[in-house]
Amino acid sequence: MSSFIRKSITRRTALKGFGAAAGLVAGPGFVRYSQAQSSEPIRIGFQAHRTGIGASYGRWYERTTNAAVKAINAAGGINGRQVEIIVEDDGTDPGRGAEVVGKFANQHKVDVAFGTLFSHVVIGSAPAAGENKLPYYVVSEGHHVASTKLNRYVFQPGITDVKSQIQAMAPWIASNAGKKVTQIFPDFAFGYDHRDYLPPALKAQGADVIAQIAIPPTESSFTKYFPQIPADTDVIYHVMVGPAVLTFVKELGEFYGSNRPQLFGFIDSLEAVDVNSPGLEFLEGSHFWEGSPRYAQPDDSDAQKAYRAAVGIDDNGASVDDPKDISTAAHMFGCWETLYVIKKAMEDSGYQGRDDAAKLVEATEALTEFAEGPEHPQGPKIFNGKIHQCFGIQNISKLEGGRLNVVHKTSIEDGMYEPEGDYTTQPL
Amino acid sequence: MPALLAAVLPLLPTDALAHASERGHVLILPTGYYLVGGALAVAASFAVLGLLRGDALERAFAARLPIGTLGESGRLATSLVSFAFLATLVAAGFLGSRDPLSNPLPLTVWTLLWVGLTFVQGMFGNLWRWIDPWYGPWRLASRLIGRNAADAPPLALPAWLAMWPALLLLLAFAWFELVYPAPDDPEKLGLVVGLYWLFSFAAMLALGHAEWSRRGEFLSVFFAMVARFGIVERTPSPDGKNRLALCLPGAKLATTEPLPFSGTLFLLAALGSVSFDGLSKTFFWLGTNGINPLEFPGRTAMMGINGTGLLAVSALLAAAYLVSVAAGEALARGRESGFAAAAGLLVWSIVPIALAYHFAHYLTALLVNGQYALVALSDPFARGWNLFGTAWWQVEAALATGSAAAWTIWNLQAGAIIGGHVLAVLAAHRLAFRLHPTPRAALLSQLPLTLLMVAYTVLGLWLLSTPTVG
Repeated sequence: MSSFIRKSITRRTALKGFGAAAGLVAGPGFVRYSQAQSSEPIRIGFQAHRTGIGASYGRWYERTTNAAVKAINAAGGINGRQVEIIVEDDGTDPGRGAEVVGKFANQHKVDVAFGTLFSHVVIGSAPAAGENKLPYYVVSEGHHVASTKLNRYVFQPGITDVKSQIQAMAPWIASNAGKKVTQIFPDFAFGYDHRDYLPPALKAQGADVIAQIAIPPTESSFTKYFPQIPADTDVIYHVMVGPAVLTFVKELGEFYGSNRPQLFGFIDSLEAVDVNSPGLEFLEGSHFWEGSPRYAQPDDSDAQKAYRAAVGIDDNGASVDDPKDISTAAHMFGCWETLYVIKKAMEDSGYQGRDDAAKLVEATEALTEFAEGPEHPQGPKIFNGKIHQCFGIQNISKLEGGRLNVVHKTSIEDGMYEPEGDYTTQPL
Repeated sequence: MPALLAAVLPLLPTDALAHASERGHVLILPTGYYLVGGALAVAASFAVLGLLRGDALERAFAARLPIGTLGESGRLATSLVSFAFLATLVAAGFLGSRDPLSNPLPLTVWTLLWVGLTFVQGMFGNLWRWIDPWYGPWRLASRLIGRNAADAPPLALPAWLAMWPALLLLLAFAWFELVYPAPDDPEKLGLVVGLYWLFSFAAMLALGHAEWSRRGEFLSVFFAMVARFGIVERTPSPDGKNRLALCLPGAKLATTEPLPFSGTLFLLAALGSVSFDGLSKTFFWLGTNGINPLEFPGRTAMMGINGTGLLAVSALLAAAYLVSVAAGEALARGRESGFAAAAGLLVWSIVPIALAYHFAHYLTALLVNGQYALVALSDPFARGWNLFGTAWWQVEAALATGSAAAWTIWNLQAGAIIGGHVLAVLAAHRLAFRLHPTPRAALLSQLPLTLLMVAYTVLGLWLLSTPTVG
């Protein structure tokens, strides 16, 4: 019976679009189903990195998720139903990730899966979401969703992707930091994104990458690479990651002393790390990409203030209960915003239960923009339903006096690029 | 579809979420000095012991401070309480939160039992004897089928099996903990713990509780071994009571019997598995196996490599130990006792090293997950209960993060590793005198083992200071 319902809804939805929701409710089988489900909570499967290498991110993703669900429930839930979170740990492991998504679909019978951060877990889990026709909303910043190489059930509506982030940095770097850029990056896929996306974006702004220094991923001492940095470098664009980041910064400081080029980096490797840690002194005065600012800013919107209070972070971006517990502020807002996108799409589609998954997918694809406000405290966003990816503003912050002050907010357009495909042509 | 994804995977931009982590703070500490200093300290302790008169040392270790007596009668009750507690935890594994940091089963098994109780056993003595969850049910079941505790069990474990069953089970446990992708999953762990309890219970009914606890049930074997180092000594007295006395750490080793070969391998595998846990996360291990540590692929992808590594490291450690003992016996021309007895006796000196590795390696987990455990135990089934008043405790998850904590923890770890090895040298020294009555032969026999201990000190400190994932 249920498979018949799913088929019929899918077909009708495909014919009439998501506006057909009212007509569907009139179907006899569907009415019974919706009555049985209406008082049940909306169940959201939270695929969390509770153990494994992503655990410190996972902790903050969980806190942000809980805060958003609390706010959503306090305001009446989704379609009048309370939201319930079912946490499953994926161990930051793609193999486990696929298993967890399968469990969400078949054992926990959740309505949607949500919240995955690490790219390889998203890529490993996406097929399970597609096979089970379970809408899967990730908060990962990887370009994998927007590449349209995953499947129609996978969305990233709450955080921008890394391709967009890199591209959006170019105008500011070219006009403020300098025209001659040397890139230092780890010698693997993550570093290659920066290696490949930055130069054309800088070129368009009249600046050049004059050297690219790839560092082997297992390297733990960096001094021997620094002589490769050209003497006429205006800006060092560094995206080193992993435990040796502090060593990298310390040795760069020892190499240059007080007379150094401009420094520009991504906060990712220092997420959850105090920027005032010993070894990082050399970063004073340098600039960073931040998805959402770690430190409270003088011009924070009321929505941003309310969001920070709800999640429980202080003006330094640390837990209000423990000043040593530094948040992953640059990314975790994505959980908050994604949950509100799920809410909006469920409301738009009159979502009742799992049999409405196809309608929910289409309703999500039909979204086009999110206004800045309590539901989207990081800023306004444009959503491209064909590639299932949002685009938003980026922050460039300067490390001054031991705190990160936002000195520039990019426009959404700075990070837009041509779509690489179209998920909506895939069957549901 | 997975094949297609695997093909496109390297082409997809990834995120940079391998953040600096706590090891990053340790990497900029002057850890090299600790490695050199630790090696010198352990070597120096050997030299100092050579100058000491053996009988003075033994007099100190023979000192006992009686602290009272303890009857056997309470053991049935404490074991039954422990069993009820375990049964509740297993039920929570199936019915409680799916989140391994909210469910009390994984937190109790991996943090309170495997880490916390090991420390308690090593520092004090065999508490496990009172809270082992099989003794009580075994006594009751025996009574039901009309058997007395003193009766011979229905079946006898063949002597040639020695402690091989315990070794096999320990390796299986280590594999589940370190290699299997989801040892923290409450439901899976509940299944494993439940089945293991049943299996052991059946073995105890058939072979006797004492016998299976001594040779088969690996937790009882391990906990009894590390308790040899504790400062509380229990001596059964004819009136059925236990006399308790305080002694110096390691004093009880003076009366230990040599372990059979399988028991020797058991103790070395216990140390080897913890060592491998450390090694398996290092950039060195990942790089050696062609894995980019900054793109750590997760445990599922590492199962083959880490399963092999776990066995290889344990085997390598055992080989290094046995070669050291053989070389020592050759140096001392030890005809008195023979290689087997020497290997079985001297292996007791590994206990403080195993304890030190356990402490250093799991300290952070104990500090942080210990808090989660106390919270979870108050609400085992995620029903909003607050049984012990701890359900709403604020977990200081960042207790062990930041540069200051990294400095403190590194020094505690280094202190434990170096101290543990110094105590091991001391223990080996005393055990060697039991094998070789002349001081010259005793000292010569320890030289190779001391070298191994110096090397293991350096390895232990290196494991804690080299770049790792997570």
